[in-house]
Amino acid sequence: MSFLVNNKVLLLAYSGMKEQSLSHSVNIMLTPQFYTLKKEKLPLKYLYQAKKIAPSLFEGLFENSEKYDYLVYKEEEEWIFIAYDLEAISNFLLSKGIKPEQVAKIFFAQQASSSFTAPVLLGERDALVSLDNTVVMIPQIALKEDNDIVTFNDSFTPKRGVTPQGIHGLTLSRRQTIGLAGFFTLFALMFFVEGWRYTHDSQSTQEEMQMLLEENPSLQSQYTRESIAAKYKMIDKNERRKREVVKTLAGMIFKGVKIGSFKLNEKAFKVEFICSDAKVAKRLVQLAKKSEFNSAKVVTGNVVHIEEKL
Amino acid sequence: MNWKLYKNELIVVASLLLMLSAILYKNNQISSRAQEMLSTKKTVREFRELITLQKTWADKKISKKINKLEKIVPSSKVKWSKKGKKLTASYKDLDPKELNKLIKNILSMAAQIQELKINRNDSSYDVEFKCKW
Repeated sequence: MSFLVNNKVLLLAYSGMKEQSLSHSVNIMLTPQFYTLKKEKLPLKYLYQAKKIAPSLFEGLFENSEKYDYLVYKEEEEWIFIAYDLEAISNFLLSKGIKPEQVAKIFFAQQASSSFTAPVLLGERDALVSLDNTVVMIPQIALKEDNDIVTFNDSFTPKRGVTPQGIHGLTLSRRQTIGLAGFFTLFALMFFVEGWRYTHDSQSTQEEMQMLLEENPSLQSQYTRESIAAKYKMIDKNERRKREVVKTLAGMIFKGVKIGSFKLNEKAFKVEFICSDAKVAKRLVQLAKKSEFNSAKVVTGNVVHIEEKL
Repeated sequence: MNWKLYKNELIVVASLLLMLSAILYKNNQISSRAQEMLSTKKTVREFRELITLQKTWADKKISKKINKLEKIVPSSKVKWSKKGKKLTASYKDLDPKELNKLIKNILSMAAQIQELKINRNDSSYDVEFKCKW
Protein backbone atom coordinates (compact mmCIF):
# COMPACT_ATOMS: atom_id res chain seq x y z
CA MET A 1 0.00 0.00 0.00
CA SER A 2 2.90 2.29 0.53
CA PHE A 3 3.18 2.61 -3.25
CA LEU A 4 -0.29 4.05 -3.48
CA VAL A 5 -0.50 6.28 -0.42
CA ASN A 6 1.87 9.15 0.12
CA ASN A 7 2.59 8.59 3.82
CA LYS A 8 5.84 10.50 4.11
CA VAL A 9 6.45 13.15 6.74
CA LEU A 10 5.58 16.64 5.48
CA LEU A 11 8.20 19.23 6.35
CA LEU A 12 7.47 22.94 6.11
CA ALA A 13 10.41 24.70 4.54
CA TYR A 14 10.96 28.40 5.18
CA SER A 15 14.05 30.56 5.06
CA GLY A 16 14.52 30.73 8.83
CA MET A 17 14.10 27.00 9.44
CA LYS A 18 16.64 25.06 11.48
CA GLU A 19 19.14 22.72 9.84
CA GLN A 20 17.73 19.22 9.45
CA SER A 21 19.30 15.83 9.95
CA LEU A 22 17.18 13.32 8.08
CA SER A 23 17.54 9.57 7.88
CA HIS A 24 14.61 9.06 5.49
CA SER A 25 12.96 10.86 2.63
CA VAL A 26 10.33 13.49 3.31
CA ASN A 27 7.77 15.63 1.50
CA ILE A 28 8.48 19.33 1.49
CA MET A 29 5.93 22.13 1.65
CA LEU A 30 7.30 25.47 0.56
CA THR A 31 6.21 28.81 1.92
CA PRO A 32 5.51 31.73 -0.46
CA GLN A 33 9.17 32.73 -0.03
CA PHE A 34 10.00 30.13 -2.69
CA TYR A 35 7.34 30.68 -5.28
CA THR A 36 5.38 33.34 -7.08
CA LEU A 37 1.64 33.00 -7.27
CA LYS A 38 -0.86 34.25 -9.81
CA LYS A 39 -4.58 33.66 -9.85
CA GLU A 40 -6.41 34.31 -13.08
CA LYS A 41 -9.93 33.85 -14.34
CA LEU A 42 -9.29 32.61 -17.83
CA PRO A 43 -11.63 31.10 -20.42
CA LEU A 44 -9.62 27.91 -20.56
CA LYS A 45 -11.06 24.43 -20.52
CA TYR A 46 -8.06 22.19 -20.26
CA LEU A 47 -5.02 22.04 -18.02
CA TYR A 48 -2.59 21.71 -20.92
CA GLN A 49 -3.85 25.03 -22.32
CA ALA A 50 -3.21 26.71 -18.98
CA LYS A 51 0.23 25.13 -18.71
CA LYS A 52 1.06 26.41 -22.15
CA ILE A 53 0.34 30.03 -21.31
CA ALA A 54 1.89 29.90 -17.81
CA PRO A 55 5.31 31.35 -18.80
CA SER A 56 3.69 34.30 -20.58
CA LEU A 57 1.76 35.25 -17.41
CA PHE A 58 5.00 35.75 -15.51
CA GLU A 59 6.78 37.54 -18.33
CA GLY A 60 8.96 40.36 -17.10
CA LEU A 61 8.78 39.18 -13.48
CA PHE A 62 11.92 37.08 -13.46
CA GLU A 63 15.42 37.77 -14.69
CA ASN A 64 16.07 34.22 -15.78
CA SER A 65 12.58 33.09 -16.69
CA GLU A 66 13.89 29.95 -18.46
CA LYS A 67 14.98 28.59 -15.05
CA TYR A 68 11.42 28.55 -13.80
CA ASP A 69 8.93 25.72 -13.79
CA TYR A 70 5.22 26.06 -13.30
CA LEU A 71 2.55 24.24 -11.31
CA VAL A 72 -0.92 24.93 -12.63
CA TYR A 73 -4.29 23.82 -11.31
CA LYS A 74 -7.83 25.02 -11.16
CA GLU A 75 -9.51 26.12 -7.96
CA GLU A 76 -13.23 26.72 -8.42
CA GLU A 77 -13.46 29.47 -11.07
CA GLU A 78 -9.83 30.51 -10.99
CA TRP A 79 -6.67 29.07 -12.49
CA ILE A 80 -3.77 29.00 -10.02
CA PHE A 81 -0.30 29.50 -11.48
CA ILE A 82 2.72 28.86 -9.28
CA ALA A 83 6.16 29.67 -10.65
CA TYR A 84 9.19 28.19 -8.91
CA ASP A 85 12.92 27.87 -9.42
CA LEU A 86 13.78 24.25 -8.68
CA GLU A 87 17.51 24.93 -8.60
CA ALA A 88 17.16 27.69 -6.04
CA ILE A 89 14.85 25.47 -3.96
CA SER A 90 17.33 22.62 -4.15
CA ASN A 91 20.20 24.88 -3.08
CA PHE A 92 18.17 26.17 -0.16
CA LEU A 93 17.22 22.65 0.96
CA LEU A 94 20.84 21.56 0.73
CA SER A 95 21.88 24.51 2.89
CA LYS A 96 19.43 23.18 5.48
CA GLY A 97 20.89 19.66 5.35
CA ILE A 98 18.19 18.17 3.13
CA LYS A 99 19.79 16.27 0.28
CA PRO A 100 17.93 16.13 -3.06
CA GLU A 101 17.51 12.36 -2.84
CA GLN A 102 15.75 12.81 0.52
CA VAL A 103 13.00 14.85 -1.10
CA ALA A 104 10.08 12.72 -2.23
CA LYS A 105 7.71 15.47 -3.34
CA ILE A 106 7.52 19.20 -3.19
CA PHE A 107 4.26 20.99 -2.39
CA PHE A 108 3.41 24.65 -2.17
CA ALA A 109 1.61 26.14 0.81
CA GLN A 110 -0.96 27.63 -1.56
CA GLN A 111 -2.11 24.12 -2.49
CA ALA A 112 -3.15 23.55 1.12
CA SER A 113 -4.83 26.96 1.56
CA SER A 114 -8.00 25.32 2.89
CA SER A 115 -5.98 23.67 5.67
CA PHE A 116 -4.79 27.04 6.96
CA THR A 117 -7.92 27.60 9.02
CA ALA A 118 -5.77 29.46 11.52
CA PRO A 119 -2.23 30.83 11.39
CA VAL A 120 0.73 28.42 11.35
CA LEU A 121 3.75 29.76 13.20
CA LEU A 122 7.10 29.77 11.41
CA GLY A 123 9.81 29.97 14.06
CA GLU A 124 9.58 32.95 16.38
CA ARG A 125 8.88 35.82 13.99
CA ASP A 126 6.66 34.83 11.10
CA ALA A 127 3.41 33.04 10.52
CA LEU A 128 1.56 31.60 7.54
CA VAL A 129 -2.04 32.61 7.14
CA SER A 130 -4.66 32.20 4.46
CA LEU A 131 -6.18 35.52 3.37
CA ASP A 132 -8.92 35.32 0.73
CA ASN A 133 -7.76 31.79 -0.09
CA THR A 134 -4.20 32.95 -0.64
CA VAL A 135 -1.50 31.71 1.71
CA VAL A 136 0.80 34.53 2.73
CA MET A 137 3.53 35.14 5.27
CA ILE A 138 2.97 37.78 7.90
CA PRO A 139 4.93 38.81 11.02
CA GLN A 140 3.67 37.17 14.18
CA ILE A 141 3.21 40.60 15.77
CA ALA A 142 0.42 41.24 13.28
CA LEU A 143 -1.57 38.39 14.82
CA LYS A 144 -4.12 39.05 17.51
CA GLU A 145 -3.13 37.75 20.93
CA ASP A 146 -6.17 35.52 21.20
CA ASN A 147 -5.70 34.08 17.73
CA ASP A 148 -6.01 30.30 17.43
CA ILE A 149 -2.88 28.57 16.20
CA VAL A 150 -2.84 25.49 13.99
CA THR A 151 -0.02 23.01 14.26
CA PHE A 152 1.48 22.08 10.94
CA ASN A 153 1.33 18.33 10.31
CA ASP A 154 1.02 15.69 7.56
CA SER A 155 -2.69 16.44 7.13
CA PHE A 156 -1.64 19.54 5.15
CA THR A 157 -0.30 17.24 2.38
CA PRO A 158 -2.09 18.10 -0.89
CA LYS A 159 -2.96 15.43 -3.43
CA ARG A 160 -0.69 16.69 -6.20
CA GLY A 161 2.91 17.62 -5.83
CA VAL A 162 6.04 18.18 -7.82
CA THR A 163 8.44 15.27 -8.15
CA PRO A 164 11.76 17.02 -7.89
CA GLN A 165 13.36 15.67 -11.04
CA GLY A 166 16.25 17.76 -12.16
CA ILE A 167 17.50 18.76 -8.75
CA HIS A 168 19.75 15.71 -8.52
CA GLY A 169 23.09 15.79 -10.21
CA LEU A 170 22.17 12.56 -12.04
CA THR A 171 18.60 13.27 -13.00
CA LEU A 172 17.82 13.59 -16.67
CA SER A 173 15.46 16.14 -18.07
CA ARG A 174 12.30 15.04 -19.87
CA ARG A 175 13.80 16.05 -23.22
CA GLN A 176 16.99 14.08 -22.56
CA THR A 177 14.92 11.11 -21.43
CA ILE A 178 12.77 11.18 -24.56
CA GLY A 179 15.87 11.56 -26.75
CA LEU A 180 17.86 8.77 -25.17
CA ALA A 181 14.93 6.38 -24.74
CA GLY A 182 13.87 7.05 -28.34
CA PHE A 183 17.39 6.43 -29.58
CA PHE A 184 17.76 3.15 -27.68
CA THR A 185 14.28 1.97 -28.64
CA LEU A 186 14.90 2.74 -32.30
CA PHE A 187 18.11 0.73 -32.27
CA ALA A 188 16.38 -2.06 -30.35
CA LEU A 189 13.77 -2.22 -33.10
CA MET A 190 16.45 -2.28 -35.79
CA PHE A 191 18.29 -5.13 -34.07
CA PHE A 192 15.05 -7.08 -33.58
CA VAL A 193 14.15 -6.66 -37.25
CA GLU A 194 17.65 -7.72 -38.30
CA GLY A 195 17.48 -10.78 -36.04
CA TRP A 196 14.05 -11.63 -37.40
CA ARG A 197 15.35 -11.31 -40.96
CA TYR A 198 18.01 -13.92 -40.27
CA THR A 199 15.32 -16.34 -39.12
CA HIS A 200 13.19 -15.46 -42.11
CA ASP A 201 16.11 -15.85 -44.58
CA SER A 202 16.87 -19.24 -43.14
CA GLN A 203 13.23 -20.27 -43.54
CA SER A 204 13.11 -19.08 -47.16
CA THR A 205 16.25 -21.11 -47.98
CA GLN A 206 14.61 -24.16 -46.40
CA GLU A 207 11.46 -23.50 -48.42
CA GLU A 208 13.53 -23.15 -51.60
CA MET A 209 15.19 -26.51 -50.91
CA GLN A 210 11.84 -28.10 -50.19
CA MET A 211 10.49 -26.75 -53.48
CA LEU A 212 13.48 -28.10 -55.41
CA LEU A 213 13.01 -31.51 -53.82
CA GLU A 214 9.32 -31.54 -54.70
CA GLU A 215 10.11 -30.65 -58.32
CA ASN A 216 12.89 -33.24 -58.49
CA PRO A 217 11.89 -36.16 -56.28
CA SER A 218 14.81 -38.23 -57.57
CA LEU A 219 17.18 -35.91 -55.71
CA GLN A 220 15.67 -36.77 -52.35
CA SER A 221 17.97 -39.75 -51.96
CA GLN A 222 21.54 -38.95 -51.09
CA TYR A 223 22.73 -42.04 -53.01
CA THR A 224 20.89 -40.97 -56.18
CA ARG A 225 22.25 -37.45 -55.84
CA GLU A 226 25.81 -38.71 -55.54
CA SER A 227 25.42 -41.04 -58.49
CA ILE A 228 23.86 -38.30 -60.68
CA ALA A 229 26.58 -35.88 -59.65
CA ALA A 230 29.35 -38.38 -60.41
CA LYS A 231 27.90 -39.23 -63.83
CA TYR A 232 27.07 -35.78 -65.11
CA LYS A 233 30.04 -33.96 -63.59
CA MET A 234 32.34 -36.35 -65.42
CA ILE A 235 30.45 -35.93 -68.72
CA ASP A 236 30.42 -32.15 -68.26
CA LYS A 237 34.15 -32.04 -67.54
CA ASN A 238 35.12 -34.26 -70.51
CA GLU A 239 32.82 -32.56 -73.02
CA ARG A 240 33.93 -29.10 -71.99
CA ARG A 241 37.54 -30.17 -72.45
CA LYS A 242 36.84 -31.56 -75.97
CA ARG A 243 35.13 -28.34 -77.03
CA GLU A 244 37.89 -26.23 -75.52
CA VAL A 245 40.54 -28.19 -77.48
CA VAL A 246 38.67 -27.78 -80.79
CA LYS A 247 38.18 -24.05 -80.19
CA THR A 248 41.83 -23.51 -79.24
CA LEU A 249 43.07 -25.43 -82.31
CA ALA A 250 40.70 -23.45 -84.55
CA GLY A 251 42.16 -20.28 -83.09
CA MET A 252 45.64 -21.40 -84.14
CA ILE A 253 44.80 -21.37 -87.84
CA PHE A 254 46.16 -18.18 -89.32
CA LYS A 255 47.44 -17.14 -92.78
CA GLY A 256 49.69 -19.85 -94.17
CA VAL A 257 48.29 -22.59 -91.93
CA LYS A 258 45.82 -25.24 -93.08
CA ILE A 259 44.46 -28.20 -91.24
CA GLY A 260 45.69 -31.49 -92.74
CA SER A 261 43.85 -33.88 -90.49
CA PHE A 262 42.24 -33.94 -87.13
CA LYS A 263 41.12 -36.84 -84.95
CA LEU A 264 39.46 -36.63 -81.57
CA ASN A 265 37.97 -39.42 -79.46
CA GLU A 266 37.07 -39.96 -75.79
CA LYS A 267 40.67 -40.15 -74.66
CA ALA A 268 42.94 -38.16 -76.95
CA PHE A 269 43.27 -35.96 -79.99
CA LYS A 270 45.72 -35.74 -82.85
CA VAL A 271 46.07 -32.90 -85.34
CA GLU A 272 48.22 -32.20 -88.36
CA PHE A 273 48.72 -28.67 -89.62
CA ILE A 274 50.19 -27.93 -93.04
CA CYS A 275 52.10 -24.68 -93.07
CA SER A 276 53.22 -22.62 -96.08
CA ASP A 277 56.87 -22.68 -94.97
CA ALA A 278 59.17 -23.66 -92.10
CA LYS A 279 59.00 -20.19 -90.57
CA VAL A 280 55.22 -20.36 -90.25
CA ALA A 281 55.54 -23.91 -88.87
CA LYS A 282 57.94 -22.67 -86.19
CA ARG A 283 55.60 -19.85 -85.27
CA LEU A 284 52.72 -22.32 -85.04
CA VAL A 285 54.68 -24.56 -82.67
CA GLN A 286 55.40 -21.56 -80.45
CA LEU A 287 51.72 -20.66 -80.48
CA ALA A 288 50.75 -24.25 -79.63
CA LYS A 289 53.14 -24.32 -76.70
CA LYS A 290 51.65 -21.07 -75.44
CA SER A 291 48.29 -22.82 -75.46
CA GLU A 292 49.92 -25.59 -73.41
CA PHE A 293 50.05 -28.12 -76.26
CA ASN A 294 53.57 -29.12 -75.37
CA SER A 295 53.68 -32.07 -77.76
CA ALA A 296 53.61 -29.71 -80.76
CA LYS A 297 56.50 -30.38 -83.12
CA VAL A 298 57.55 -29.82 -86.73
CA VAL A 299 57.58 -33.19 -88.45
CA THR A 300 58.76 -32.63 -91.99
CA GLY A 301 59.75 -29.11 -92.92
CA ASN A 302 56.39 -27.43 -92.91
CA VAL A 303 54.11 -29.99 -91.23
CA VAL A 304 53.26 -29.59 -87.52
CA HIS A 305 51.89 -32.40 -85.38
CA ILE A 306 50.15 -32.18 -82.03
CA GLU A 307 49.08 -35.31 -80.22
CA GLU A 308 47.83 -35.21 -76.66
CA LYS A 309 45.61 -36.91 -74.15
CA LEU A 310 42.44 -35.15 -73.09
CA MET B 1 14.80 4.81 -1.97
CA ASN B 2 12.43 7.09 -3.80
CA TRP B 3 12.10 5.49 -7.22
CA LYS B 4 9.94 8.30 -8.55
CA LEU B 5 12.96 10.57 -8.36
CA TYR B 6 14.71 8.36 -10.86
CA LYS B 7 11.76 7.85 -13.18
CA ASN B 8 13.59 9.30 -16.19
CA GLU B 9 16.73 7.32 -15.50
CA LEU B 10 14.66 4.17 -15.13
CA ILE B 11 12.99 4.79 -18.51
CA VAL B 12 16.39 5.30 -20.14
CA VAL B 13 17.85 2.22 -18.43
CA ALA B 14 14.81 0.17 -19.50
CA SER B 15 15.17 1.27 -23.12
CA LEU B 16 18.91 0.60 -22.94
CA LEU B 17 18.20 -2.91 -21.64
CA LEU B 18 15.70 -3.37 -24.43
CA MET B 19 18.38 -2.43 -26.95
CA LEU B 20 20.92 -4.74 -25.33
CA SER B 21 18.47 -7.64 -25.37
CA ALA B 22 17.76 -6.87 -29.05
CA ILE B 23 21.51 -7.02 -29.76
CA LEU B 24 21.74 -10.35 -27.93
CA TYR B 25 18.73 -11.66 -29.84
CA LYS B 26 20.24 -10.59 -33.17
CA ASN B 27 23.65 -12.08 -32.35
CA ASN B 28 22.03 -15.28 -31.18
CA GLN B 29 20.05 -15.51 -34.40
CA ILE B 30 23.16 -14.85 -36.46
CA SER B 31 25.30 -17.46 -34.73
CA SER B 32 22.65 -20.17 -34.58
CA ARG B 33 21.22 -19.61 -38.04
CA ALA B 34 24.37 -18.72 -39.93
CA GLN B 35 25.83 -22.23 -39.76
CA GLU B 36 22.51 -23.82 -40.60
CA MET B 37 21.86 -21.35 -43.40
CA LEU B 38 25.32 -21.85 -44.90
CA SER B 39 24.85 -25.59 -45.04
CA THR B 40 21.32 -25.27 -46.49
CA LYS B 41 22.50 -22.75 -49.05
CA LYS B 42 25.35 -25.07 -50.04
CA THR B 43 22.90 -27.93 -50.49
CA VAL B 44 20.57 -25.73 -52.54
CA ARG B 45 23.51 -24.66 -54.71
CA GLU B 46 24.49 -28.29 -55.25
CA PHE B 47 20.89 -29.18 -56.09
CA ARG B 48 20.71 -26.41 -58.65
CA GLU B 49 24.03 -27.46 -60.15
CA LEU B 50 22.83 -31.07 -60.41
CA ILE B 51 19.55 -30.01 -61.97
CA THR B 52 21.40 -27.83 -64.50
CA LEU B 53 23.82 -30.65 -65.34
CA GLN B 54 20.95 -33.08 -65.75
CA LYS B 55 19.02 -30.65 -67.94
CA THR B 56 22.08 -30.06 -70.11
CA TRP B 57 23.38 -33.57 -70.62
CA ALA B 58 20.09 -35.45 -70.47
CA ASP B 59 18.08 -33.01 -72.55
CA LYS B 60 15.09 -34.84 -73.97
CA LYS B 61 14.97 -32.52 -76.98
CA ILE B 62 18.54 -33.17 -78.01
CA SER B 63 17.46 -36.00 -80.32
CA LYS B 64 15.46 -33.50 -82.39
CA LYS B 65 18.14 -30.84 -82.22
CA ILE B 66 20.74 -33.27 -83.55
CA ASN B 67 18.75 -33.67 -86.79
CA LYS B 68 19.82 -30.15 -87.65
CA LEU B 69 23.29 -31.55 -88.39
CA GLU B 70 21.86 -33.57 -91.28
CA LYS B 71 20.44 -30.54 -93.06
CA ILE B 72 23.28 -28.17 -92.41
CA VAL B 73 24.99 -29.17 -95.71
CA PRO B 74 23.52 -30.43 -98.99
CA SER B 75 22.12 -33.95 -98.50
CA SER B 76 24.36 -35.35 -101.23
CA LYS B 77 27.35 -34.73 -99.00
CA VAL B 78 25.90 -36.45 -95.92
CA LYS B 79 25.69 -40.06 -94.85
CA TRP B 80 23.43 -40.19 -91.81
CA SER B 81 22.88 -43.05 -89.39
CA LYS B 82 20.93 -42.37 -86.20
CA LYS B 83 20.10 -45.34 -83.99
CA GLY B 84 18.45 -44.81 -80.60
CA LYS B 85 20.62 -42.37 -78.75
CA LYS B 86 23.60 -42.68 -81.05
CA LEU B 87 24.58 -40.92 -84.22
CA THR B 88 27.15 -41.71 -86.88
CA ALA B 89 27.46 -39.13 -89.64
CA SER B 90 29.89 -38.80 -92.56
CA TYR B 91 30.33 -35.61 -94.56
CA LYS B 92 32.19 -35.52 -97.89
CA ASP B 93 33.69 -32.72 -99.95
CA LEU B 94 32.89 -29.85 -97.56
CA ASP B 95 34.26 -26.48 -98.42
CA PRO B 96 35.93 -24.48 -95.57
CA LYS B 97 32.75 -22.47 -94.98
CA GLU B 98 30.61 -25.62 -94.63
CA LEU B 99 33.22 -27.19 -92.39
CA ASN B 100 33.25 -24.18 -90.06
CA LYS B 101 29.47 -24.14 -89.87
CA LEU B 102 29.30 -27.86 -89.16
CA ILE B 103 31.96 -27.78 -86.41
CA LYS B 104 30.32 -24.75 -84.80
CA ASN B 105 27.00 -26.60 -84.63
CA ILE B 106 28.56 -29.82 -83.34
CA LEU B 107 30.24 -27.93 -80.52
CA SER B 108 27.00 -26.20 -79.52
CA MET B 109 25.07 -29.48 -79.22
CA ALA B 110 24.87 -30.98 -75.73
CA ALA B 111 25.82 -34.43 -77.01
CA GLN B 112 28.83 -36.50 -75.99
CA ILE B 113 31.35 -36.49 -78.79
CA GLN B 114 32.70 -40.02 -79.25
CA GLU B 115 34.71 -39.35 -82.35
CA LEU B 116 35.41 -36.41 -84.62
CA LYS B 117 37.64 -36.84 -87.65
CA ILE B 118 38.55 -34.22 -90.23
CA ASN B 119 40.61 -35.08 -93.34
CA ARG B 120 41.74 -32.66 -95.99
CA ASN B 121 41.48 -33.69 -99.68
CA ASP B 122 43.05 -30.93 -101.81
CA SER B 123 40.67 -28.04 -101.19
CA SER B 124 37.77 -29.94 -99.58
CA TYR B 125 37.29 -31.71 -96.27
CA ASP B 126 35.78 -35.02 -95.16
CA VAL B 127 34.32 -35.27 -91.69
CA GLU B 128 33.32 -38.27 -89.62
CA PHE B 129 31.31 -37.67 -86.51
CA LYS B 130 30.07 -40.04 -83.81
CA CYS B 131 28.14 -38.97 -80.76
CA LYS B 132 25.68 -40.19 -78.13
CA TRP B 133 23.26 -38.54 -75.68
